[in-house]
Amino acid sequence: MNKSSSKSVNIIEIKDFSLCFPSKTEGMKPVLNKLNLSIKRGSIFGVTGNSGCGKTMTAMSIASLLPKEASIQGGDILFNGQSLLSMDPHSRRLLLGDKIGVIFQEPMSALDPLMRIEAALGEVLISHGVKDKNEIRSKIMEMLKVVGFKNPDAILNRYPHQLSGGQRQRILIAGAALLKPSLLICDEPTSALDTVTTISILELLRSMSISMGITMLFISHDLNVVGCFCDYVAVMKDGAIIEKGITSRVLRSPQTPYTLSLLRKSRLDNVLSNDFFLKPNYSETPLLEVSNMSSGYDGRLFSRQKHANVIHDISFKMYPKEVLGVIGGSGCGKTTLAKTICGLLTPTAGTMLLNDVIIGVVFQDPASCLNPSHNILWHLLEPLKAKKIKLSKLETRELLIATMKEVNLKPSYLLRYPHQLSGGQRQRVAIAMCLILKPKLIIADEPFSSLDASSAANVLSLLSSINHKYNTAILLISHNLHIVSKVASRVMVMDSGTIVESGQLSEVFASPSSQAAKDLLEAERKLNSNPNALS
Amino acid sequence: MRENLKFILTKAVEFILTLLVVSFFTFAAFSILPGDTASVILGPEATPEQIDSLRQELGLDKPMVEQYLNWLAGTFSGNLGQSTAFNVPVSSLIAQRLPVTLGMCALALIIVIGVSYPMAILSSRKPFHLADQVFSIIGHIAFAIPPFVLSLLLILLFSNLFGYFAVGQYYAPTDNFGGYLNSLLLPSVCIAIPKIAMIFKFLRSSIITEKASDYIKTSKAHGLSDFSILIRHVLPNTNVSAITVVSIVLSDIIGGSLIVEQVFNLPGLGRLLLMGISRRDFPLLSGMVFYLALATVIIYFVADILNNLVDPRMRLK
Repeated sequence: MNKSSSKSVNIIEIKDFSLCFPSKTEGMKPVLNKLNLSIKRGSIFGVTGNSGCGKTMTAMSIASLLPKEASIQGGDILFNGQSLLSMDPHSRRLLLGDKIGVIFQEPMSALDPLMRIEAALGEVLISHGVKDKNEIRSKIMEMLKVVGFKNPDAILNRYPHQLSGGQRQRILIAGAALLKPSLLICDEPTSALDTVTTISILELLRSMSISMGITMLFISHDLNVVGCFCDYVAVMKDGAIIEKGITSRVLRSPQTPYTLSLLRKSRLDNVLSNDFFLKPNYSETPLLEVSNMSSGYDGRLFSRQKHANVIHDISFKMYPKEVLGVIGGSGCGKTTLAKTICGLLTPTAGTMLLNDVIIGVVFQDPASCLNPSHNILWHLLEPLKAKKIKLSKLETRELLIATMKEVNLKPSYLLRYPHQLSGGQRQRVAIAMCLILKPKLIIADEPFSSLDASSAANVLSLLSSINHKYNTAILLISHNLHIVSKVASRVMVMDSGTIVESGQLSEVFASPSSQAAKDLLEAERKLNSNPNALS
Repeated sequence: MRENLKFILTKAVEFILTLLVVSFFTFAAFSILPGDTASVILGPEATPEQIDSLRQELGLDKPMVEQYLNWLAGTFSGNLGQSTAFNVPVSSLIAQRLPVTLGMCALALIIVIGVSYPMAILSSRKPFHLADQVFSIIGHIAFAIPPFVLSLLLILLFSNLFGYFAVGQYYAPTDNFGGYLNSLLLPSVCIAIPKIAMIFKFLRSSIITEKASDYIKTSKAHGLSDFSILIRHVLPNTNVSAITVVSIVLSDIIGGSLIVEQVFNLPGLGRLLLMGISRRDFPLLSGMVFYLALATVIIYFVADILNNLVDPRMRLK
C-alpha cells in the first residue's frame, strides 16, 4: 500500500531547524531552536510539552502551514529524503492533502459551516486532480465507512452544525486520509473532546495507522493521551527537544528532571494530599438545594418548538465546603446545569433553593470569557459594580492587591490586557473575578480542559487554597475523571440531561451502576494504560 | 426544500404584516397633519359650502377607519388617488418617474459591489501593506465628502472639463437606452462612492477575519490553492454578513438618490417628492412615502431570503 520505493527508514527528518517570530519587544523571538527530530516510517510519534514549547510550530513547519510572519532561520526538513524547504510553494501545497494530511484541535470550527460534508471532503480530491463525480463520491463513501460512519449516505448531505464534535473530528480525519497520505499530522486532535470520544478517536487513528500504513505525528499536551497512544515520544521545552525515546521508557523512567516534573504535574502528585480539599459535614444546612429542576433554551417566535429542555428532573443538594464533581460526556447537559444554577438560564420546572449565597463561575475557555478591550483591573472591578458594592479608593486598592496575590498574580498585572497573559494566568484572572466577592460556592465548568498539565495543576491548587481559606464549596464540572477522582468527595454522573447516578466518589468509581458511568470509567482506564490497550 | 418553502412563507407573512403597520402609520401621519386637502385644492377664496361638497366628494367626511380602509384598498390595488397639484393619478406620476430613481439605484448598487469587492480582496491579501493603506486612505476621503459636494465636483470634472456626460439631459429608457444609461451614470457614481468606502471597510475586515478561521486552515491542509480557498470558503462566508450590510446600504442609496437627482436635474422621485411637499399635495406625499417604505421592506425581505439560501444554519435546526 505504502510507497516502499523510498530508501530512508525515516519519513521525516528535521535537521538543526530554527524558526523565529518577529516580536515587538525582543526583535526576533526564537520559537524553534536547532531542532533535530526523525520519525520512523509507520510509527506513531508523539510530541508533548507545555503551551508555547513549540510543538505545534514543529508540526506546522512540516505541513508548511506556518503563519506568514514566521521566518525560518536555518536547518532543513526532509520528507521521504526530499528537502521540503527547497521545494517550490506549488509542489509543497500539492503535498498537503495528498502525501501529508493534517487534522487540528477544534473540530467544532474546522469545517466550513456553509458547506455540506460531501463538498467539504470532495474539495480534497478535486484540488488533487480527481474529476469524475462518481469516483469522488465512491471514494468519500469508502472513507466515511473507514472512519466509522455506518450509514455514509446520510452524512453526505449534512452540514457541520448537524454533527457532534466527535463526528466532526471523524469527518476531518476522513478528509485528511482521503488520498491515503503517508504522514498524518494530528495537532491536539482530542483536546476538545470528552474521554469516551477521545478513546474512540484514538482507536480509529491507531487502526488507520496499521491498516493503511500511515505514519502519525501526534501533538498533545496530555501525557495520558500520549502515553496510551504513541509508540515514541519527544518532550519539548523552549523550542528544543530535551528527551525522546520509546513512550513507555520515557514516561516510566524519565531521564530529565523536566520530564519528571511534567509527569508529576499530570498525575497531580505534588498538589494532591489527603486534606487537599475540605470534607463536608452532611448534617449542616445545604448551600444549594435543587429539586426536580428542568431547564433549557427558548424556542423562537413563530416556531412550533417553544422551549427545548436540555436537562430534566435534576435533584441534588450541595453542602458547605463540599467539592461536588459532575461528570459526563459532551452534550449530557453539564454546562446547562451550570448556567441554570448561576442564573444565566431560568429553570422551566422544579425549584432551586440558594440559601443567600454568592456564586462565582469559572468557565472553560479563559481566552474568550475575558473582554479583550479591557485590562485586568476593569475585569476585577466589574463584579463589585454588578453587586453595587461601594468601597473607598483605599479599600478597593487593598482588596484588588490582596485578590491578585491570592491567585498568585503580580499586582502589576492589573494593568495588563487579556492577550498579554498566558492561558493559565487568564484562568487565574477568571478565578480572581469570582474570588473578589468571597463566594460561598464556585461553579467551575471544565476549568482545566484548555490548560496544559502545569497550568491545570496550578489552578487546582489555587482552588484548593480558596476552599480551605473561605470554606468555599466547589461544583466541579469536568470530563477529566482523573482530576475529579482526586478532588471531589461526591460525584454525579449525567447522561442525556439527567443525573443517572450519584453518590460518594469511592462508591461510584468502584462499582458504577449506570452505563454512562461504566463507559466513562472504561475510557479512563484505557487512557491510563499503555499503547497496547487500544484495540 | 420544504424548510426553504416554509421559511419563505413565514417571511412573506411577516412582510405583509410589516406593510400593514407601515400603511397605518403613513395614513395616520397624513391625517393628523394640519391642513385640509379640500381647502388646499380650492384655495383661500373658497366658501365653506364649496369645501364641504368637495370633502364629501373625496370621502373626507367619512369616519377615519373607513377612510383608512378605502385608502388601503386603493393603495394595494395601485390606485393612490388623484394628485391635487398635478390633477393626474398619483400612480401614473410615480410610474413616470420610477425608471429614473430605480435605474440610478440599481446602477449605484452594481458599482458599489463591483468596486468594493475587488478592493477588499486586494486589500486583505496583505493587510497594512501598500494596496491596503492606499485603499484605506482613499476610502476615508470618499466617505467624508457629502454626496452633493461630490456631485458638483464630478460635474465640473467629467461634464464641464472633459465633456463626457451631458448633465441635465435625460432620455427615457424606451426611447434611447444608451442615452438613459449615460444620463444616469454620473449621478450613480456620486451615490456609490461613499457607499463603496463603507462596504469596502466592512468587507475588508470581514475577509481578514474569515481568513483567520479554523476551516481555512483545514482547507489549506487539504491542499487547496489560495484562489480556491477565496472563492469556495472566504467569500461565501463573508457574504453571510455582507448581505445584511448591503441591504442596509441599499435602502440608504434610495434615500441618497433623492438629493442627487436635484443636483443633476433628473426627473426622478426625489424631485416629485419635493414638489409634493411644497404644494402640500397630500395624496401624492402619502402615496410616495408608502412606496418608499414598500421598497425598503422589499429589500429586507429579499435580504432575509438570500441569507437563508446562503447560510444553512438559518434554515436547519
